[in-house]
Amino acid sequence: MSKPVEVDIALGILDHQLVDSDGVNCGKVDDLEVTGLDTASPEVVEILVGGNAWRSRGVLGRLLARFAGDAVHVPWSEVESVSEVVKLKRPASELRLNRGDPRWAQLVGKVPGS
Amino acid sequence: MSMKNVLAVALGILSAIGGFVDIGDLVFNTQAGATFGYQLLWVVVIGVAGIVVYSEMCGRVAAVAKRPVFDLVRERTGFSAGLATLVASQVVNLMTCAAEVGGVAICLQLLSGLPYRVLIPLAVVGLAVASWALPFEWIERVFGYLGLCLLVFAVAAIKLHPDWGRVAHGFVPGSHVGGSLSVYLYFVVGLLGAAMTPYEVYFYSSGAVEDGWGLKELGLNKVTAMIGYGLGGFLSFALMIVAGTLFLPLGIDPQFLGTPALGAEEAFGQVGLLLALVGILFAVGGAAIETCFSGAYNTAQFFGWRWGKRERPAAASRFTLAWVIIFALAFLVVMTGYDPVKLTEYSVIFSVVALPLTYLPILLIANDRTYMGSKVNGKLANVLGVLYFILILAIAVAAIPLMLITHGGQG
Repeated sequence: MSKPVEVDIALGILDHQLVDSDGVNCGKVDDLEVTGLDTASPEVVEILVGGNAWRSRGVLGRLLARFAGDAVHVPWSEVESVSEVVKLKRPASELRLNRGDPRWAQLVGKVPGS
Repeated sequence: MSMKNVLAVALGILSAIGGFVDIGDLVFNTQAGATFGYQLLWVVVIGVAGIVVYSEMCGRVAAVAKRPVFDLVRERTGFSAGLATLVASQVVNLMTCAAEVGGVAICLQLLSGLPYRVLIPLAVVGLAVASWALPFEWIERVFGYLGLCLLVFAVAAIKLHPDWGRVAHGFVPGSHVGGSLSVYLYFVVGLLGAAMTPYEVYFYSSGAVEDGWGLKELGLNKVTAMIGYGLGGFLSFALMIVAGTLFLPLGIDPQFLGTPALGAEEAFGQVGLLLALVGILFAVGGAAIETCFSGAYNTAQFFGWRWGKRERPAAASRFTLAWVIIFALAFLVVMTGYDPVKLTEYSVIFSVVALPLTYLPILLIANDRTYMGSKVNGKLANVLGVLYFILILAIAVAAIPLMLITHGGQG
Protein backbone atom coordinates (compact mmCIF):
# COMPACT_ATOMS: atom_id res chain seq x y z
CA MET A 1 0.00 0.00 0.00
CA SER A 2 1.32 3.38 -1.01
CA LYS A 3 0.42 5.73 1.81
CA PRO A 4 -0.62 4.80 5.32
CA VAL A 5 -4.38 4.96 5.80
CA GLU A 6 -6.13 4.58 9.09
CA VAL A 7 -8.68 1.76 8.96
CA ASP A 8 -10.97 0.52 11.68
CA ILE A 9 -10.45 -3.25 11.46
CA ALA A 10 -13.89 -4.16 12.76
CA LEU A 11 -15.78 -1.64 10.64
CA GLY A 12 -13.51 -1.25 7.63
CA ILE A 13 -12.17 -4.76 6.96
CA LEU A 14 -14.13 -7.47 8.76
CA ASP A 15 -17.17 -8.66 6.78
CA HIS A 16 -16.07 -6.77 3.68
CA GLN A 17 -16.04 -8.10 0.13
CA LEU A 18 -12.88 -9.78 -1.18
CA VAL A 19 -12.11 -9.07 -4.83
CA ASP A 20 -9.32 -10.82 -6.72
CA SER A 21 -6.85 -9.33 -9.20
CA ASP A 22 -9.35 -9.95 -12.05
CA GLY A 23 -12.04 -7.99 -10.27
CA VAL A 24 -14.05 -11.10 -9.39
CA ASN A 25 -15.81 -11.43 -6.03
CA CYS A 26 -14.20 -14.21 -4.01
CA GLY A 27 -15.76 -14.34 -0.56
CA LYS A 28 -15.89 -12.14 2.50
CA VAL A 29 -13.42 -11.33 5.23
CA ASP A 30 -15.05 -13.78 7.63
CA ASP A 31 -12.39 -13.52 10.31
CA LEU A 32 -8.94 -12.07 10.88
CA GLU A 33 -5.87 -13.62 12.49
CA VAL A 34 -4.07 -11.01 14.55
CA THR A 35 -0.75 -11.56 16.32
CA GLY A 36 1.19 -9.57 18.83
CA LEU A 37 -1.82 -8.28 20.72
CA ASP A 38 0.36 -8.18 23.85
CA THR A 39 3.02 -6.13 22.11
CA ALA A 40 3.18 -2.52 21.05
CA SER A 41 2.53 -3.31 17.38
CA PRO A 42 -0.16 -5.95 16.81
CA GLU A 43 -0.35 -7.16 13.25
CA VAL A 44 -2.99 -8.70 11.02
CA VAL A 45 -1.37 -11.80 9.54
CA GLU A 46 -4.22 -13.65 7.82
CA ILE A 47 -7.70 -13.32 6.42
CA LEU A 48 -9.94 -16.33 7.04
CA VAL A 49 -12.60 -17.05 4.46
CA GLY A 50 -15.57 -19.36 4.76
CA GLY A 51 -16.09 -22.69 6.52
CA ASN A 52 -15.01 -22.87 10.14
CA ALA A 53 -14.01 -19.20 10.10
CA TRP A 54 -17.69 -18.66 10.95
CA ARG A 55 -17.26 -20.51 14.25
CA SER A 56 -16.18 -17.37 16.04
CA ARG A 57 -19.13 -15.36 14.67
CA GLY A 58 -21.93 -15.97 17.13
CA VAL A 59 -24.46 -18.74 17.58
CA LEU A 60 -25.71 -18.75 13.99
CA GLY A 61 -22.14 -18.75 12.70
CA ARG A 62 -21.24 -21.76 14.85
CA LEU A 63 -24.27 -23.58 13.54
CA LEU A 64 -23.42 -22.78 9.93
CA ALA A 65 -19.75 -23.72 10.41
CA ARG A 66 -20.79 -27.28 11.33
CA PHE A 67 -22.01 -27.83 7.79
CA ALA A 68 -19.03 -26.18 6.14
CA GLY A 69 -15.44 -27.28 5.57
CA ASP A 70 -12.18 -25.68 6.54
CA ALA A 71 -11.60 -21.97 6.18
CA VAL A 72 -9.25 -20.72 3.49
CA HIS A 73 -6.31 -18.77 4.93
CA VAL A 74 -5.13 -15.81 2.89
CA PRO A 75 -1.88 -14.21 4.11
CA TRP A 76 -2.18 -10.44 4.60
CA SER A 77 0.79 -10.04 2.23
CA GLU A 78 -1.61 -10.99 -0.60
CA VAL A 79 -3.70 -7.87 0.00
CA GLU A 80 -3.28 -5.21 -2.65
CA SER A 81 -5.47 -2.48 -1.14
CA VAL A 82 -8.31 -1.81 1.27
CA SER A 83 -11.17 0.45 0.22
CA GLU A 84 -14.89 -0.44 0.34
CA VAL A 85 -13.60 -3.84 -0.76
CA VAL A 86 -10.44 -5.76 0.08
CA LYS A 87 -8.55 -6.17 -3.17
CA LEU A 88 -6.16 -9.11 -3.55
CA LYS A 89 -2.96 -9.32 -5.59
CA ARG A 90 -3.68 -12.61 -7.38
CA PRO A 91 -6.55 -14.44 -9.07
CA ALA A 92 -8.91 -16.26 -6.69
CA SER A 93 -7.95 -19.74 -7.93
CA GLU A 94 -4.29 -19.24 -6.98
CA LEU A 95 -5.37 -18.43 -3.43
CA ARG A 96 -7.78 -21.41 -3.28
CA LEU A 97 -10.74 -19.04 -3.12
CA ASN A 98 -14.05 -19.34 -5.03
CA ARG A 99 -13.86 -23.10 -5.34
CA GLY A 100 -17.64 -23.35 -5.02
CA ASP A 101 -18.44 -21.97 -8.46
CA PRO A 102 -16.29 -24.43 -10.49
CA ARG A 103 -17.72 -27.26 -8.37
CA TRP A 104 -21.30 -26.48 -9.45
CA ALA A 105 -20.41 -25.18 -12.90
CA GLN A 106 -20.59 -28.63 -14.45
CA LEU A 107 -24.16 -29.08 -13.29
CA VAL A 108 -25.27 -25.61 -14.37
CA GLY A 109 -23.27 -25.94 -17.59
CA LYS A 110 -25.49 -28.79 -18.77
CA VAL A 111 -28.32 -26.34 -19.47
CA PRO A 112 -28.23 -24.80 -22.95
CA GLY A 113 -27.19 -21.16 -22.99
CA SER A 114 -25.07 -21.31 -19.86
CA MET B 1 -31.73 13.11 -20.73
CA SER B 2 -30.15 11.05 -23.48
CA MET B 3 -31.99 8.26 -25.28
CA LYS B 4 -30.01 5.74 -23.26
CA ASN B 5 -31.22 7.32 -20.04
CA VAL B 6 -34.79 7.37 -21.25
CA LEU B 7 -34.51 3.65 -21.89
CA ALA B 8 -32.95 3.11 -18.52
CA VAL B 9 -36.04 4.56 -16.88
CA ALA B 10 -37.59 1.22 -17.90
CA LEU B 11 -35.72 -0.20 -14.89
CA GLY B 12 -37.89 2.06 -12.78
CA ILE B 13 -41.05 1.10 -14.62
CA LEU B 14 -40.42 -2.58 -13.99
CA SER B 15 -39.71 -1.84 -10.35
CA ALA B 16 -42.88 0.23 -10.26
CA ILE B 17 -45.29 -2.17 -11.92
CA GLY B 18 -43.67 -5.49 -11.14
CA GLY B 19 -42.14 -4.39 -7.88
CA PHE B 20 -44.50 -1.77 -6.59
CA VAL B 21 -47.81 -3.11 -7.82
CA ASP B 22 -47.43 -6.74 -7.01
CA ILE B 23 -49.77 -9.22 -5.42
CA GLY B 24 -49.34 -7.50 -2.03
CA ASP B 25 -50.60 -4.17 -3.37
CA LEU B 26 -53.42 -5.81 -5.32
CA VAL B 27 -54.63 -7.66 -2.26
CA PHE B 28 -54.19 -4.90 0.33
CA ASN B 29 -55.41 -1.96 -1.77
CA THR B 30 -58.47 -3.86 -2.94
CA GLN B 31 -59.33 -5.17 0.52
CA ALA B 32 -58.71 -1.75 2.09
CA GLY B 33 -61.00 -0.14 -0.50
CA ALA B 34 -63.70 -2.77 -0.04
CA THR B 35 -63.57 -2.35 3.76
CA PHE B 36 -62.95 1.37 4.30
CA GLY B 37 -63.72 2.96 0.92
CA TYR B 38 -61.33 5.81 0.14
CA GLN B 39 -60.41 6.49 3.76
CA LEU B 40 -56.96 4.88 3.55
CA LEU B 41 -55.66 6.65 0.43
CA TRP B 42 -53.38 8.81 2.59
CA VAL B 43 -51.49 5.71 3.72
CA VAL B 44 -50.52 4.93 0.12
CA VAL B 45 -49.03 8.43 -0.19
CA ILE B 46 -46.92 7.86 2.93
CA GLY B 47 -45.86 4.40 1.73
CA VAL B 48 -44.88 5.62 -1.73
CA ALA B 49 -42.87 8.53 -0.34
CA GLY B 50 -41.10 6.05 1.96
CA ILE B 51 -40.05 3.72 -0.82
CA VAL B 52 -38.93 6.71 -2.92
CA VAL B 53 -36.74 8.00 -0.06
CA TYR B 54 -35.06 4.64 0.59
CA SER B 55 -34.75 3.59 -3.05
CA GLU B 56 -33.10 6.88 -3.87
CA MET B 57 -30.59 6.24 -1.06
CA CYS B 58 -29.93 2.68 -2.28
CA GLY B 59 -29.47 3.82 -5.86
CA ARG B 60 -27.10 6.57 -4.74
CA VAL B 61 -25.05 4.15 -2.63
CA ALA B 62 -24.97 1.76 -5.61
CA ALA B 63 -23.82 4.54 -7.94
CA VAL B 64 -21.20 6.10 -5.64
CA ALA B 65 -19.86 3.22 -3.54
CA LYS B 66 -20.89 0.40 -5.96
CA ARG B 67 -22.24 -1.58 -3.02
CA PRO B 68 -25.56 -3.43 -3.15
CA VAL B 69 -27.81 -3.55 -0.08
CA PHE B 70 -26.82 -6.90 1.35
CA ASP B 71 -23.11 -6.05 1.26
CA LEU B 72 -24.03 -3.13 3.49
CA VAL B 73 -26.22 -5.19 5.78
CA ARG B 74 -23.35 -7.53 6.48
CA GLU B 75 -20.67 -4.83 6.71
CA ARG B 76 -22.65 -2.70 9.14
CA THR B 77 -24.53 -5.19 11.29
CA GLY B 78 -21.87 -7.93 11.29
CA PHE B 79 -22.07 -11.65 10.65
CA SER B 80 -24.70 -12.69 13.20
CA ALA B 81 -27.28 -9.94 12.68
CA GLY B 82 -26.55 -10.06 8.94
CA LEU B 83 -27.20 -13.79 8.83
CA ALA B 84 -30.39 -13.36 10.87
CA THR B 85 -31.53 -10.68 8.41
CA LEU B 86 -30.63 -12.99 5.52
CA VAL B 87 -32.68 -15.85 6.93
CA ALA B 88 -35.65 -13.59 7.70
CA SER B 89 -35.54 -11.94 4.29
CA GLN B 90 -35.25 -15.32 2.56
CA VAL B 91 -38.34 -16.62 4.33
CA VAL B 92 -40.29 -13.48 3.38
CA ASN B 93 -38.92 -13.52 -0.20
CA LEU B 94 -39.88 -17.14 -0.63
CA MET B 95 -43.40 -16.56 0.68
CA THR B 96 -43.79 -13.53 -1.57
CA CYS B 97 -42.37 -15.35 -4.59
CA ALA B 98 -44.74 -18.27 -3.98
CA ALA B 99 -47.70 -15.90 -3.66
CA GLU B 100 -46.74 -14.18 -6.94
CA VAL B 101 -46.33 -17.52 -8.71
CA GLY B 102 -49.76 -18.54 -7.41
CA GLY B 103 -51.07 -15.22 -8.73
CA VAL B 104 -49.64 -15.94 -12.17
CA ALA B 105 -51.34 -19.35 -12.16
CA ILE B 106 -54.68 -17.79 -11.10
CA CYS B 107 -54.48 -15.24 -13.95
CA LEU B 108 -53.64 -18.00 -16.41
CA GLN B 109 -56.58 -20.00 -15.09
CA LEU B 110 -58.98 -17.08 -15.53
CA LEU B 111 -57.65 -16.45 -19.03
CA SER B 112 -57.58 -20.06 -20.23
CA GLY B 113 -60.10 -21.98 -18.14
CA LEU B 114 -57.54 -24.75 -17.55
CA PRO B 115 -57.22 -26.20 -14.02
CA TYR B 116 -55.14 -24.23 -11.49
CA ARG B 117 -52.98 -27.23 -10.52
CA VAL B 118 -51.91 -27.77 -14.12
CA LEU B 119 -51.07 -24.11 -14.57
CA ILE B 120 -48.76 -23.83 -11.52
CA PRO B 121 -45.91 -25.88 -13.09
CA LEU B 122 -46.50 -24.05 -16.36
CA ALA B 123 -46.20 -20.69 -14.59
CA VAL B 124 -42.97 -21.67 -12.82
CA VAL B 125 -41.38 -23.12 -15.94
CA GLY B 126 -42.42 -20.06 -17.97
CA LEU B 127 -40.92 -17.66 -15.42
CA ALA B 128 -37.73 -19.70 -15.03
CA VAL B 129 -37.22 -19.94 -18.80
CA ALA B 130 -37.81 -16.19 -19.17
CA SER B 131 -35.29 -15.54 -16.36
CA TRP B 132 -32.75 -17.88 -17.94
CA ALA B 133 -33.06 -16.91 -21.57
CA LEU B 134 -33.86 -13.21 -21.59
CA PRO B 135 -31.36 -10.49 -20.75
CA PHE B 136 -32.57 -8.22 -17.94
CA GLU B 137 -33.37 -5.41 -20.35
CA TRP B 138 -35.88 -7.68 -22.04
CA ILE B 139 -37.38 -8.95 -18.82
CA GLU B 140 -37.83 -5.31 -17.82
CA ARG B 141 -39.48 -4.44 -21.10
CA VAL B 142 -41.73 -7.47 -21.51
CA PHE B 143 -43.03 -7.52 -17.93
CA GLY B 144 -42.85 -3.75 -17.36
CA TYR B 145 -44.73 -2.71 -20.48
CA LEU B 146 -47.34 -5.47 -20.44
CA GLY B 147 -47.83 -4.70 -16.75
CA LEU B 148 -48.88 -1.23 -17.88
CA CYS B 149 -52.22 -2.81 -18.88
CA LEU B 150 -53.00 -2.17 -15.20
CA LEU B 151 -53.62 1.43 -16.23
CA VAL B 152 -57.09 0.16 -17.15
CA PHE B 153 -57.83 0.46 -13.42
CA ALA B 154 -57.03 4.17 -13.52
CA VAL B 155 -59.50 4.70 -16.36
CA ALA B 156 -62.02 2.43 -14.64
CA ALA B 157 -61.69 4.48 -11.44
CA ILE B 158 -62.75 7.58 -13.39
CA LYS B 159 -65.48 5.83 -15.38
CA LEU B 160 -67.12 4.42 -12.26
CA HIS B 161 -67.81 8.02 -11.14
CA PRO B 162 -66.64 7.93 -7.54
CA ASP B 163 -67.64 10.78 -5.24
CA TRP B 164 -64.49 12.85 -5.83
CA GLY B 165 -65.06 14.94 -2.73
CA ARG B 166 -64.85 11.83 -0.59
CA VAL B 167 -61.86 10.59 -2.58
CA ALA B 168 -60.07 13.88 -1.84
CA HIS B 169 -61.04 13.53 1.81
CA GLY B 170 -59.33 10.12 1.83
CA PHE B 171 -55.96 11.79 1.31
CA VAL B 172 -56.30 13.48 4.69
CA PRO B 173 -55.50 11.22 7.64
CA GLY B 174 -58.21 11.28 10.26
CA SER B 175 -60.78 9.36 12.17
CA HIS B 176 -62.42 6.54 10.24
CA VAL B 177 -66.00 5.53 9.68
CA GLY B 178 -67.06 1.89 9.77
CA GLY B 179 -65.02 -1.11 10.92
CA SER B 180 -63.06 -1.34 14.15
CA LEU B 181 -59.94 0.66 14.98
CA SER B 182 -57.76 -2.46 15.08
CA VAL B 183 -58.84 -3.50 11.56
CA TYR B 184 -58.21 0.05 10.36
CA LEU B 185 -54.71 -0.03 11.86
CA TYR B 186 -54.09 -3.50 10.41
CA PHE B 187 -54.75 -2.08 6.95
CA VAL B 188 -52.51 0.93 7.67
CA VAL B 189 -49.66 -1.46 8.51
CA GLY B 190 -50.47 -3.76 5.56
CA LEU B 191 -50.62 -0.92 3.03
CA LEU B 192 -47.32 0.53 4.29
CA GLY B 193 -45.76 -2.94 4.21
CA ALA B 194 -47.05 -3.61 0.71
CA ALA B 195 -45.65 -0.27 -0.48
CA MET B 196 -42.25 -0.62 1.17
CA THR B 197 -41.53 -4.35 0.75
CA PRO B 198 -37.83 -5.03 1.30
CA TYR B 199 -37.28 -6.99 -1.91
CA GLU B 200 -37.91 -3.82 -3.91
CA VAL B 201 -34.79 -2.16 -2.49
CA TYR B 202 -32.71 -5.36 -2.79
CA PHE B 203 -33.63 -5.68 -6.43
CA TYR B 204 -33.33 -1.99 -7.24
CA SER B 205 -29.86 -1.64 -5.72
CA SER B 206 -28.48 -4.89 -7.15
CA GLY B 207 -29.85 -3.94 -10.57
CA ALA B 208 -28.12 -0.57 -10.33
CA VAL B 209 -24.79 -2.20 -9.41
CA GLU B 210 -25.21 -4.68 -12.27
CA ASP B 211 -25.95 -1.87 -14.68
CA GLY B 212 -22.66 -0.29 -13.58
CA TRP B 213 -24.21 2.95 -12.33
CA GLY B 214 -21.75 5.75 -11.62
CA LEU B 215 -21.91 9.43 -10.69
CA LYS B 216 -23.52 10.15 -14.07
CA GLU B 217 -26.56 8.12 -13.06
CA LEU B 218 -27.33 10.09 -9.88
CA GLY B 219 -29.90 12.23 -11.69
CA LEU B 220 -31.37 9.19 -13.39
CA ASN B 221 -31.61 7.53 -9.98
CA LYS B 222 -33.73 10.37 -8.58
CA VAL B 223 -36.00 10.38 -11.64
CA THR B 224 -36.35 6.58 -11.68
CA ALA B 225 -37.23 6.40 -8.00
CA MET B 226 -39.78 9.19 -8.21
CA ILE B 227 -41.45 8.39 -11.55
CA GLY B 228 -41.27 4.63 -11.12
CA TYR B 229 -42.70 4.42 -7.64
CA GLY B 230 -44.94 7.43 -8.25
CA LEU B 231 -46.60 5.54 -11.08
CA GLY B 232 -46.92 2.53 -8.82
CA GLY B 233 -48.64 4.65 -6.18
CA PHE B 234 -51.00 6.07 -8.79
CA LEU B 235 -52.10 2.54 -9.67
CA SER B 236 -52.59 1.76 -5.98
CA PHE B 237 -54.95 4.74 -5.69
CA ALA B 238 -56.86 3.43 -8.69
CA LEU B 239 -57.23 -0.06 -7.20
CA MET B 240 -58.48 1.31 -3.91
CA ILE B 241 -60.90 3.75 -5.56
CA VAL B 242 -62.34 1.02 -7.80
CA ALA B 243 -62.81 -1.28 -4.80
CA GLY B 244 -64.29 1.54 -2.71
CA THR B 245 -66.74 2.53 -5.44
CA LEU B 246 -67.81 -0.94 -6.49
CA PHE B 247 -67.20 -3.52 -3.78
CA LEU B 248 -67.90 -1.56 -0.58
CA PRO B 249 -71.54 -0.68 -1.40
CA LEU B 250 -72.22 -4.28 -2.46
CA GLY B 251 -70.51 -5.71 0.61
CA ILE B 252 -68.11 -7.79 -1.50
CA ASP B 253 -65.13 -9.12 0.45
CA PRO B 254 -62.41 -9.59 -2.17
CA GLN B 255 -60.85 -12.83 -0.97
CA PHE B 256 -59.97 -13.88 -4.52
CA LEU B 257 -57.20 -12.44 -6.68
CA GLY B 258 -59.52 -12.19 -9.68
CA THR B 259 -61.90 -9.85 -7.83
CA PRO B 260 -60.16 -6.54 -8.69
CA ALA B 261 -60.39 -7.44 -12.39
CA LEU B 262 -64.19 -7.37 -12.05
CA GLY B 263 -63.89 -3.63 -11.43
CA ALA B 264 -62.37 -3.19 -14.88
CA GLU B 265 -65.04 -5.44 -16.36
CA GLU B 266 -67.80 -3.37 -14.77
CA ALA B 267 -66.37 -0.28 -16.47
CA PHE B 268 -65.33 -1.68 -19.86
CA GLY B 269 -66.85 -5.14 -20.28
CA GLN B 270 -64.83 -8.03 -21.68
CA VAL B 271 -61.99 -5.82 -22.96
CA GLY B 272 -61.58 -4.30 -19.53
CA LEU B 273 -61.49 -7.71 -17.91
CA LEU B 274 -58.90 -8.95 -20.40
CA LEU B 275 -56.66 -5.88 -19.96
CA ALA B 276 -56.90 -6.17 -16.18
CA LEU B 277 -56.00 -9.86 -16.18
CA VAL B 278 -53.07 -9.37 -18.58
CA GLY B 279 -51.87 -6.44 -16.46
CA ILE B 280 -52.09 -8.45 -13.25
CA LEU B 281 -50.45 -11.46 -14.93
CA PHE B 282 -47.36 -9.52 -15.99
CA ALA B 283 -47.13 -7.31 -12.91
CA VAL B 284 -47.27 -10.35 -10.67
CA GLY B 285 -45.01 -12.37 -13.00
CA GLY B 286 -42.39 -9.59 -13.00
CA ALA B 287 -42.59 -9.47 -9.21
CA ALA B 288 -42.10 -13.25 -9.02
CA ILE B 289 -38.84 -12.86 -10.95
CA GLU B 290 -37.79 -9.90 -8.79
CA THR B 291 -38.42 -11.69 -5.51
CA CYS B 292 -36.65 -14.79 -6.75
CA PHE B 293 -33.59 -12.83 -7.87
CA SER B 294 -33.60 -10.76 -4.68
CA GLY B 295 -33.20 -14.00 -2.74
CA ALA B 296 -30.27 -15.04 -4.90
CA TYR B 297 -28.68 -11.56 -4.74
CA ASN B 298 -28.93 -11.48 -0.96
CA THR B 299 -27.40 -14.92 -0.47
CA ALA B 300 -24.55 -14.24 -2.92
CA GLN B 301 -23.86 -10.84 -1.39
CA PHE B 302 -23.87 -12.17 2.16
CA PHE B 303 -21.31 -14.88 1.33
CA GLY B 304 -19.34 -12.75 -1.12
CA TRP B 305 -19.96 -14.94 -4.17
CA ARG B 306 -19.74 -13.93 -7.77
CA TRP B 307 -23.26 -12.76 -8.70
CA GLY B 308 -25.30 -11.12 -11.39
CA LYS B 309 -27.59 -11.77 -14.29
CA ARG B 310 -24.86 -10.45 -16.58
CA GLU B 311 -22.44 -13.18 -15.52
CA ARG B 312 -22.46 -16.41 -17.47
CA PRO B 313 -24.78 -18.73 -15.51
CA ALA B 314 -22.06 -21.37 -15.21
CA ALA B 315 -19.38 -18.87 -14.12
CA ALA B 316 -21.58 -17.66 -11.25
CA SER B 317 -22.96 -21.15 -10.71
CA ARG B 318 -23.83 -20.73 -7.02
CA PHE B 319 -25.83 -17.59 -7.77
CA THR B 320 -27.58 -19.37 -10.64
CA LEU B 321 -28.43 -22.36 -8.48
CA ALA B 322 -29.71 -20.03 -5.76
CA TRP B 323 -32.41 -18.51 -7.96
CA VAL B 324 -33.31 -21.84 -9.56
CA ILE B 325 -33.75 -23.37 -6.08
CA ILE B 326 -35.92 -20.44 -4.94
CA PHE B 327 -38.23 -20.96 -7.93
CA ALA B 328 -38.35 -24.69 -7.15
CA LEU B 329 -39.21 -24.04 -3.49
CA ALA B 330 -41.85 -21.48 -4.47
CA PHE B 331 -43.33 -24.13 -6.76
CA LEU B 332 -43.56 -26.61 -3.88
CA VAL B 333 -45.21 -24.01 -1.63
CA VAL B 334 -47.85 -23.15 -4.24
CA MET B 335 -48.49 -26.82 -5.02
CA THR B 336 -49.59 -27.38 -1.42
CA GLY B 337 -52.74 -25.59 -2.59
CA TYR B 338 -52.47 -22.89 0.09
CA ASP B 339 -54.47 -19.82 -0.96
CA PRO B 340 -52.10 -17.26 -2.59
CA VAL B 341 -54.16 -14.36 -1.19
CA LYS B 342 -53.71 -15.63 2.39
CA LEU B 343 -50.04 -16.28 1.66
CA THR B 344 -49.76 -12.68 0.44
CA GLU B 345 -51.25 -11.31 3.65
CA TYR B 346 -48.75 -13.26 5.75
CA SER B 347 -45.81 -12.36 3.53
CA VAL B 348 -46.59 -8.62 3.67
CA ILE B 349 -47.06 -8.63 7.45
CA PHE B 350 -43.85 -10.64 8.03
CA SER B 351 -41.93 -8.42 5.62
CA VAL B 352 -42.83 -5.45 7.82
CA VAL B 353 -41.02 -7.17 10.70
CA ALA B 354 -37.90 -7.58 8.52
CA LEU B 355 -37.94 -3.94 7.35
CA PRO B 356 -35.86 -2.24 10.08
CA LEU B 357 -32.83 -4.51 9.61
CA THR B 358 -32.93 -3.82 5.87
CA TYR B 359 -33.37 -0.06 6.05
CA LEU B 360 -31.03 0.81 8.95
CA PRO B 361 -27.76 -0.18 7.18
CA ILE B 362 -28.88 1.81 4.12
CA LEU B 363 -29.46 4.90 6.24
CA LEU B 364 -26.08 4.48 7.99
CA ILE B 365 -24.05 3.97 4.80
CA ALA B 366 -25.81 6.81 2.99
CA ASN B 367 -24.45 9.04 5.79
CA ASP B 368 -20.93 7.59 5.81
CA ARG B 369 -18.36 9.82 4.12
CA THR B 370 -15.81 7.02 3.77
CA TYR B 371 -18.25 5.38 1.35
CA MET B 372 -20.10 8.34 -0.08
CA GLY B 373 -17.66 11.27 -0.05
CA SER B 374 -19.65 14.43 -0.79
CA LYS B 375 -22.68 12.44 -1.92
CA VAL B 376 -23.85 11.66 1.61
CA ASN B 377 -27.49 12.29 2.50
CA GLY B 378 -28.60 15.90 2.43
CA LYS B 379 -30.81 17.36 5.15
CA LEU B 380 -34.05 16.38 3.42
CA ALA B 381 -32.99 12.77 2.84
CA ASN B 382 -31.89 12.50 6.47
CA VAL B 383 -34.97 14.05 8.04
CA LEU B 384 -37.21 11.82 5.91
CA GLY B 385 -34.93 8.82 6.36
CA VAL B 386 -35.02 9.09 10.16
CA LEU B 387 -38.78 9.78 10.29
CA TYR B 388 -39.45 6.76 8.11
CA PHE B 389 -37.12 4.63 10.16
CA ILE B 390 -39.11 5.50 13.29
CA LEU B 391 -42.34 4.71 11.43
CA ILE B 392 -40.92 1.39 10.25
CA LEU B 393 -39.91 0.46 13.80
CA ALA B 394 -43.40 1.27 15.03
CA ILE B 395 -45.18 -0.79 12.38
CA ALA B 396 -42.68 -3.65 12.78
CA VAL B 397 -43.65 -3.89 16.44
CA ALA B 398 -47.39 -3.55 15.73
CA ALA B 399 -47.63 -5.82 12.67
CA ILE B 400 -47.96 -9.30 14.15
CA PRO B 401 -50.12 -8.33 17.18
CA LEU B 402 -52.52 -6.52 14.81
CA MET B 403 -52.66 -9.51 12.49
CA LEU B 404 -53.52 -11.79 15.42
CA ILE B 405 -56.07 -9.44 17.01
CA THR B 406 -57.92 -8.84 13.74
CA HIS B 407 -57.56 -12.39 12.39
CA GLY B 408 -55.85 -10.97 9.32
CA GLY B 409 -58.19 -8.00 8.87
CA GLN B 410 -61.38 -9.99 9.32
CA GLY B 411 -62.21 -8.13 12.53
